[in-house]
Amino acid sequence: MRVTQSMLTQNSLRQLSTSYGKMGKLMEQLSTGKKISRPSDDPVVAMKGMYYRTNLTELEQYKRNLSESYAWMENSEAALDHVQSVMHRARELVVQGSNDTYSPEDRQAMAKEIEQLKHDFVQVANTQVAGKYIFNGTAIDKPRITDANDPMSVSMENSPFEVEVSRGIKLQSNINADNVFNKDMIEIWNGLQSALESSDTDALKSLMGRFDKAADAISAERSELGARYNRLEMVDNRIGYQEVVATRILSDNEDADIEKVITNLTMQESVHRASLGVGARVIQPSLLDFLR
Amino acid sequence: MRSTFHSLEVARRGLVTQQTALQTVGHNIANANTPGYTRQRVNFVQTEPYPPASMNRPQIPGQMGTGVEAGSIQRVRESFLDIQYRGENNKLGYWEARAGSLQKMEEIMNEPSETGLSTTLDRFWQAFQDLAVNPTNAGARSVVRQRGLAVAETFRFLSDSLSSVQGDMKNEMDVTEKQVNALSQQINNINKQIGDLEPHGYLANDLYDERDRLVDELSQLVNIKVSKVGTGGSASPLAEGKYTIEMVDDSGRKIGTLVDATSNRVNRLSLEYRADTGLVDGFRLGDTSFGIGSMQSSGKLRGLIDSYGFMDGNTEKGLYPDMLNHLDTLAFEFAQEINRVHESGWSISSMETGEHTAFKFFEFKNTNIVAGNIKNAAKLFTVSADIVQSLDNIAASGYNKGIITSGEFHGYNGVGNVSVTVQSTVDADGVQQFTYTVYDAAKSPKQELMTSGSFSTLEDLGAGLSGEFVDSAGNPSVNFDLSKVRLEDVSKGNFIAVDIPKTGEVGGRVGDGSNAIALAEVKARTLQLNGVSTTFQNYYESVIGGLAVDAQEANRLSYNSETLRLSVDQRRQSVSGVSLDEEMTNMIQFQHAYNASARMITLTDELLDRIINGLGLGGR
Repeated sequence: MRVTQSMLTQNSLRQLSTSYGKMGKLMEQLSTGKKISRPSDDPVVAMKGMYYRTNLTELEQYKRNLSESYAWMENSEAALDHVQSVMHRARELVVQGSNDTYSPEDRQAMAKEIEQLKHDFVQVANTQVAGKYIFNGTAIDKPRITDANDPMSVSMENSPFEVEVSRGIKLQSNINADNVFNKDMIEIWNGLQSALESSDTDALKSLMGRFDKAADAISAERSELGARYNRLEMVDNRIGYQEVVATRILSDNEDADIEKVITNLTMQESVHRASLGVGARVIQPSLLDFLR
Repeated sequence: MRSTFHSLEVARRGLVTQQTALQTVGHNIANANTPGYTRQRVNFVQTEPYPPASMNRPQIPGQMGTGVEAGSIQRVRESFLDIQYRGENNKLGYWEARAGSLQKMEEIMNEPSETGLSTTLDRFWQAFQDLAVNPTNAGARSVVRQRGLAVAETFRFLSDSLSSVQGDMKNEMDVTEKQVNALSQQINNINKQIGDLEPHGYLANDLYDERDRLVDELSQLVNIKVSKVGTGGSASPLAEGKYTIEMVDDSGRKIGTLVDATSNRVNRLSLEYRADTGLVDGFRLGDTSFGIGSMQSSGKLRGLIDSYGFMDGNTEKGLYPDMLNHLDTLAFEFAQEINRVHESGWSISSMETGEHTAFKFFEFKNTNIVAGNIKNAAKLFTVSADIVQSLDNIAASGYNKGIITSGEFHGYNGVGNVSVTVQSTVDADGVQQFTYTVYDAAKSPKQELMTSGSFSTLEDLGAGLSGEFVDSAGNPSVNFDLSKVRLEDVSKGNFIAVDIPKTGEVGGRVGDGSNAIALAEVKARTLQLNGVSTTFQNYYESVIGGLAVDAQEANRLSYNSETLRLSVDQRRQSVSGVSLDEEMTNMIQFQHAYNASARMITLTDELLDRIINGLGLGGR
C-alpha cells in the first residue's frame, strides 16, 4: 500500500484526538467522581443509579418519619409513667380512706389530694408535643379533656396516628387513648373525690374495683406501647443498616474508582506522549530534507 | 531521407514533455493539501515513428523513434473506493445526526442527577411523607405546594426544552434540504462544463475533482447512486463523462433522480410537513410526491427526520415525539392519579366547613386535556388554582379511605351508631367481587346487622348501600360515593370501615395524614401506562433506559462508521493522495531527463557545427 505524508498526518491526528477523548473522559471521571456523566455512557449504571437514588431518598425519609414516631412514643411513654405514679398515689389514698381509722377531716384532706391528682391526670391527658395533643387520636388540634369535672367532656377520639416507616408498612405512633383517658376514669376520680368527701367507704370499695381495672388497662396499654417501641427500634436498626447498604451500592454503582481512574489516566497520558512523539518524528522528515 | 535537424526535434520534444511532467509535479505539490484533490500523472507516449508505414516510404532500415509527447494528463483514482467511501459517509451522516440529537436529549433529561425529573418526583414524594407525619404543619404544606410546583415546572421545562430542540432540528432539516439542492445544482453546473470540454478531447481533471468532492458531500446527506453518462464527440477514452445522481433506498433501488445528466436538469428535493402535527409527512422530488416511507435510506436528512419526528399513517414517530409522548403520558397519568387520591382526602378547608370538597392538585392550563388526548399534557402541566390559592386546600387527611358520604343520617333500622365495612373478595373464577357489612357500632364488640350480596363494581355497591339508608319517610338519606376508593385499599384482605357520622360531625381529622401517605404512594403504584402495567418510577426509568441504549447505539455506530469511512478514505488516499517524497523523486527524475534532453541539443549543435563549419574545407 502506498502511504503518503498526509495519510500519516491524518492517522496520527486521529489517534491524538481519540487519545484526547479518552483523557477527557478520565479527567471528567476524576473531577466528578462519577463513572458516568450521561446515561449513554452506561445505560445499566444510569438506570440502576436512578433506582438506587430513589431508594436512598426513601430510606432517608423513613428515618425522618421514624424520629417523629420516636417523639410521639417517648412522650406517650413518659406520660403513661406519670399517670401510673399518679394512680399509685391515688390508690394509697383510697386504701387509707377506706380504713375506718381515719376521721372525716382526714378524708377531706385526702379528697383534696385526689382532686389535685385528678387535675394532674387531666393535665397529662392534654399533653401537647410541638403544639399537638398526642392523646386525642388524630384530632390533634383539640384537647382530650376540656372539663376535669365533667366526664362528658372527654373526647372519644382514638384513631391511630400512623407513620409510614417502610414502603407500605405503617406503625401506629399514638396510644389508644380510650384505654387510658376515658370517661370512666373521670367518673372514678369524681366518685373517689365525693366518696372521700362524704366518707362513704362502701362507695370507695366499689370504686376500688373499677379503679384497679382501669389501672390494669393503663398498664396493658403501656406494655403495648413498649412492645411497639421495640418494634420501632428494630425498624430503625433495619433502616439504618439498609441505608448503609444502599449508600454503598449507590457508590459501587456510579462512583468512579479513583485509584483506577488515576492509573488509567497516567497510562493514557504515556500513550498520548508516545503518540505525540512518534507523530512528530514521522511527520517531520521528507525527502526534501535530504536533497542538497 | 530523414532531416538533419531530426535529433534537435527529438530533443526538443523531450524538453517540452519533461517540462510538462515537471509542471504536473508542481501542480501536485501545490495541491498536496487541497481537499478532494487527486494526484495527476502525465501519460508519456512515444510520437509516431519515422517512417510511417506507407506506399512511398523511404527505404531506410527500420522505424526510427521520433521522441515523446504528453499523451494525456490523468487523475490517479479508483472509482470503486469512491462508492465505498460514499456508502460509509452516508451511514456516518445518519448516525451522527441521530447521536447528536440523542445527546441533546440526554442533556435535557439530565438523569441520573440531583436535578432531573426523577429527583423532583422523589422530593415531591418526600414532601408528602413529611406532611403525613405533620399534617397540621403549614410549613410541610407549603413544601408540598412548592415541590408540586417544582414537579409541574420540571415537566414543563423538559417538554419545552425538547420542543425547542425539535424546532432547531427543523431548521437543520431545512438547511440540509437546501444543501442537497445546492449540491445538486453545483454538480449539474460542473456536469455542463464537463459536457462542453470533453467532446473536444480534454480531460477536465480539476472539474472531476471538484465534482467528486461535491458528490462526497452529498452522499453524507442522502443515500445516492452515481452513474456516468458519456459526453459524446471525440471524447478521450479516459473521460469520465457526466454524472447522473439518483436517490436510492437502503437496498439500492432508485427513488428518484436528483441530477439528470442527459437533460442537464436538477430535481429539487423538498420535505413536506403535516399541517396539524407539524411533523414530516413526505417529500417531493421534482414534480413527484413520495410518502416518507419511501425514504428508507440513511444519510443525515433521514437521521434528522427520525429524530424530529414523522407521520407513519396517523401515528407520530421519531425520537423527540416519542419522548414528548412519554412525558405527556407521565404527566397526565400522574396528575390523574394524584388528583383522584387528593380529591378523596379531606383538606383543612373541608374540615372547617364540614363538607367534603374535592380539590384537584394538578391541572392543565387553558386546555381540555383528557384521556385519549394527552398531547402537550407535560407542557401545560401546572398546580391547580385551588392549591395555589390556599395551603388549607391540600387534602392530607383521609376519611374512610375515599368513601364519601353525603346527606343526612337518620339511623339504620333504629340503630343510631352504624359502622359499614366494604371488602373485596375473589370468587372461584378469580373475578373480583365487592361486599359490604353493616354493624351496630354502639355494641362492643360490633354486632353485625346485615351482609350484602356481591357486587361486581364499587359503583354498584355504592348504589346498593345508599339504598339501605332511608329517612323516616322512606326516602334515601345517606349517599355513598365510592368513586374515589382505591382498589388496593379493599383488596388483599383489607377492608374499609365507614363510621356513619352523627349529624353535623365533621369528616376527617387534622392530625390524620393517611391521605398524604396515599398521595406519596402514587409514585410507586402499579398503573396502566401506555398499555404497560408499571409504576411511574419504573416507567420513567425504562424511558431513560431506552434513551440511554438508543444514544449508546447511535454513539457507537457513528464512531464505527467514522472509523470505516476513515479506513476507506485511507485506501483512497493511498491511491490518490499526493506523496511529497514521491513527487520529489519524480521531480528529480524529470529534471534529469530534461537536462539530458538539453544535453542532446548541445550534442546535436556540436554535430551541426561540425557539418556547417567543419565540412567542405578539405585542402584549405
